[in-house]
Amino acid sequence: MPDQSHVGRRYSAPGQRIDSDRAHATAQAIAGADPVREPDAVPPTFAAVYCLGPTLAKLFSDPEVGVDLAGLIHGEQSFEWHAPVHPGDVVDATAEITSIDTKRGMTLVRLAMEATRPADHAVVCRGTSLMIVRAPA
Amino acid sequence: MTAPAASEVAIGDPVTPFSRTVTQEQINAYAAASGDHNPIHLDPEFARSVGLPGTIAHGLLEMGILADAIASWAGGNANLLSLTCRFSKPLLPGDTIICTGTVVSVDDAGIATLEVGASSDRGDRVLTSGRATVRLSR
Repeated sequence: MPDQSHVGRRYSAPGQRIDSDRAHATAQAIAGADPVREPDAVPPTFAAVYCLGPTLAKLFSDPEVGVDLAGLIHGEQSFEWHAPVHPGDVVDATAEITSIDTKRGMTLVRLAMEATRPADHAVVCRGTSLMIVRAPA
Repeated sequence: MTAPAASEVAIGDPVTPFSRTVTQEQINAYAAASGDHNPIHLDPEFARSVGLPGTIAHGLLEMGILADAIASWAGGNANLLSLTCRFSKPLLPGDTIICTGTVVSVDDAGIATLEVGASSDRGDRVLTSGRATVRLSR
């Protein structure tokens, strides 16, 4: 179970390539039956795929923190887009645990994340997440 | 696509309302594209076993639709600078998500701050405490 001693842990997922097919499939899934509004663009919330997903995967597999995935809820999310990303770009993603609190039997894990593009040293996206881990029943 | 002009956007202006019906096929497609295969989104039996009414949409799929709604009003993805929201209530397959927003400020640089959110056609407030910033045209 996450606790205060885990605040400050960092998870790095370097070398995330922005895959054109996957970006388009994500845009199409968001659009549903509607046409994709900008077919050649990487949708903004694709940051969930190139930044949030790969760093969270490292957190979830950190045996010392021991997040119980069965009780996990995504509570809040924010993204700031600082520069557009394009298919073929490669970005380095990192996430850091910024706070852990307990409230009514739930553990609230806050993370700050960032994706940078080494090719031009640009920060492309920053974000924060709140993950809520419910106590095992 | 062009962003609304900063000189023509006033505090209190609505973001053009935007609704989209979310199907289980769409949730499956989002799982495949995003790599989030949590069974609460895909397996009704599993979802019910953890106390949900059935499968639910990914919060990030809902947030993607909200981003689409705002970017559509703002003249394109590149004009959406930030988005924050809380995943308050689940959206179920077959539900229509209704995204709304209001301009709360416009600064000297032509950046508008919006209060945004989304509800379902069943009346649940699914995305709350939403904030976005967008770049308007000059």
